[in-house]
Amino acid sequence: MAPRGKGHVIKETSLVCTLWLVLAAIVPVNAQTMSYADAISQLAAACRNDIAKFCKGVPLGPRLKTCFDTNDARMSAQCQQTRGVVYTSISRRAAAQRNIGDICSADIARLCGTTRAGENLLACLLAASPAALSPQCNQTFADTGWRTERARQ
Amino acid sequence: MKPHHISLVAAVLVIAAAVTGAPAQQQINSGQMATSLAGVSNTRLSLTGAQMRQAVLDNIRNYPGTLPPRPLTFPELENLAQFIVEVDFDFNSAVIRPSSYRSIGAIADALHNPILLGYGILVIGHTDSVGGRQYNVGLSQRRAEAIRDALIDPFNVNPAALEAVGMGEEQLRDPAHPTSGVNRRVQLINVGGKFCFNASGERYVCP
Repeated sequence: MAPRGKGHVIKETSLVCTLWLVLAAIVPVNAQTMSYADAISQLAAACRNDIAKFCKGVPLGPRLKTCFDTNDARMSAQCQQTRGVVYTSISRRAAAQRNIGDICSADIARLCGTTRAGENLLACLLAASPAALSPQCNQTFADTGWRTERARQ
Repeated sequence: MKPHHISLVAAVLVIAAAVTGAPAQQQINSGQMATSLAGVSNTRLSLTGAQMRQAVLDNIRNYPGTLPPRPLTFPELENLAQFIVEVDFDFNSAVIRPSSYRSIGAIADALHNPILLGYGILVIGHTDSVGGRQYNVGLSQRRAEAIRDALIDPFNVNPAALEAVGMGEEQLRDPAHPTSGVNRRVQLINVGGKFCFNASGERYVCP
């Protein structure tokens, strides 16, 4: 999802609005997304007891999310809060990775003279200083997590 | 707690984590995993998931015994980039324990790294020798599929890029200690091209 100011968020559906407000209450909107490893281990830590109690034997995947939804009212406040943050971060990272080519196409064309997908796109964005990217492109690129993943290689 | 063993040989990174259900102490480095899996030879692999599953069953039929008298080998896979991860499951079950959620997330982080974009990945499940060989093939297939399923949802990995194969106990990593936890593992193999898998496990060039 593209980075947006709160003014834009309010215009969207109430569901998205609520998700963003919950997220904004905990982390600044401009914070980077978590890695999937960090996100899901936060969920495992915050919801370990609730999973054992309400979702024992439920596989990690869509059925676990359904189990959380079904038992939401009975789960600990810590688990409820964390899972909202975690699933929001995961969706936001996925959307950033999906949309980065479109959102940054003008930046890539300006900086690298190409809009080809894949590694070329990554190389171009990695080589650019954050200040050289448009704010929207820079935020989306941060949300992909590819800077931090590259630093781990 | 078993000693941890890490080796970086022939682009294989082996992680032996605790065999108990305790939270994994060792964290997989998704960046290193991506680098390991990306070191790829572009040979066209003709072996399909269905052929591998058949070879596993043939190995049990042709070489009966409580333990596999000889390990099943796939020469086509030996030089491909791979990564081995230990994942904790509930006993006799394909349900991944929360202690291993992080490992699945780290695999997803690696597979989303642009350096692995478009590659087909085999997800191969292995068991130790506890339980019958035939049963273990089914269990490891379900476990490999559970990992595949979790990588797809919630972690958004392209379903067409993943093929799950259960190897049972036909490729013990430590044949001298067939019940050892090091045998229970998940092997990820980059099949070496920009290939996807169809529903029958046959490969085709990704769109």
